[in-house]
Amino acid sequence: MDVHARAQDYTESELSGMIEDESELTAGVRIVPGRSYGFFTDTTVCIGCKACEVACKEWNNLPADNVGLSGHSYDNTGALSANSWRHVAFIEKHTGQDGAPGVRSTNKTPYQSGWLMLSDVCKHCHNAPCLEACPTGALFKTEFDTVVVQQDICNGCGYCVPACPFGVVDLNTLDGKAHKCTLCYDRLKGGLEPACAKSCPTDSIQFGELPDLQARAEKRVEQLHGQGVSTAYLYGTPGAPGATGDLGHLNAFFLLTDKPEAYNLPSAPTRPANRVAPSLAAGLAAVAGLALTALFAFNRRS
Amino acid sequence: MRTMEGIVTILQESRFQLTDDAGVSHLFILGHDTLGEPDQLEALQRRQARIRVRYTEPRNLIGLVAHSVETTA
Repeated sequence: MDVHARAQDYTESELSGMIEDESELTAGVRIVPGRSYGFFTDTTVCIGCKACEVACKEWNNLPADNVGLSGHSYDNTGALSANSWRHVAFIEKHTGQDGAPGVRSTNKTPYQSGWLMLSDVCKHCHNAPCLEACPTGALFKTEFDTVVVQQDICNGCGYCVPACPFGVVDLNTLDGKAHKCTLCYDRLKGGLEPACAKSCPTDSIQFGELPDLQARAEKRVEQLHGQGVSTAYLYGTPGAPGATGDLGHLNAFFLLTDKPEAYNLPSAPTRPANRVAPSLAAGLAAVAGLALTALFAFNRRS
Repeated sequence: MRTMEGIVTILQESRFQLTDDAGVSHLFILGHDTLGEPDQLEALQRRQARIRVRYTEPRNLIGLVAHSVETTA
């Protein structure tokens, strides 16, 4: 088993203080301000244990909501919200032996499952639409290239909510502010790996520097293709699905094996700011058209 | 409205954990009608001040909503 050389420095089970640059031991990456960090979520190894959801709620002191059963398998979280910054989606593929949609198959190829699991999270977009929509500057890019809401500045206007093409940002009606994943900004500042990635038992969620993660993800896709999983592809890396419509790239990107819509992800998300100029032009054209019509009608009468 | 007294042990944005005299911890969200900001709670947590919270229990949430926070003698 590979153990970081620095791990030999901490053999005691009880430590007197925090381990400096702990992420080097847990994620193999030193967190340095000014570099880009993110998540690579490999859905092929997600087992749906929800350790990430629990770790996120524990660290961020988020309350449990939607108490009770949703009726959607083990998915009682339902969706990302102001109180749930990680959501493990359970998607059952209703495809029968003859490939008929909506029909649950009665047998499976050995070691294959009819379930897709994905731990969804804020994508920390390179060109973040929520940040562009925020009128108070509460949303900002951190020194780790992540997107965070400053709670003391947020006035709860909610413009960021429809601006997000992934439906991530949500308003909490109890405190009247917008909330979303901070990529554990406070932990990053302390040299700690984000809670969800650290708790993931299968390393489905990997934390690291973006170029390293993207290279690792490309290799994983090649490996899966070699193993016969020809459907594997990346969502959110530069030039891939998910990184469309001027979003640049997603700092939290995914390895998927089905179409994005199956995971409740948009196939071609866009930046709403791109629609401002055409909308303005259409509005001005409509005003000009109406003015001309009025002028024409007035001239005819007189 | 119900009240609870204790010490702030964890603070994250507008959410805080209040540990009462019995040693039981409760999760609170600072309500939008509270005359105060999370920054002020930080100072209270740092000096382990004893506070009194007036709160309500929202539906479908395992947590409480704080409507006023004041220090006790």
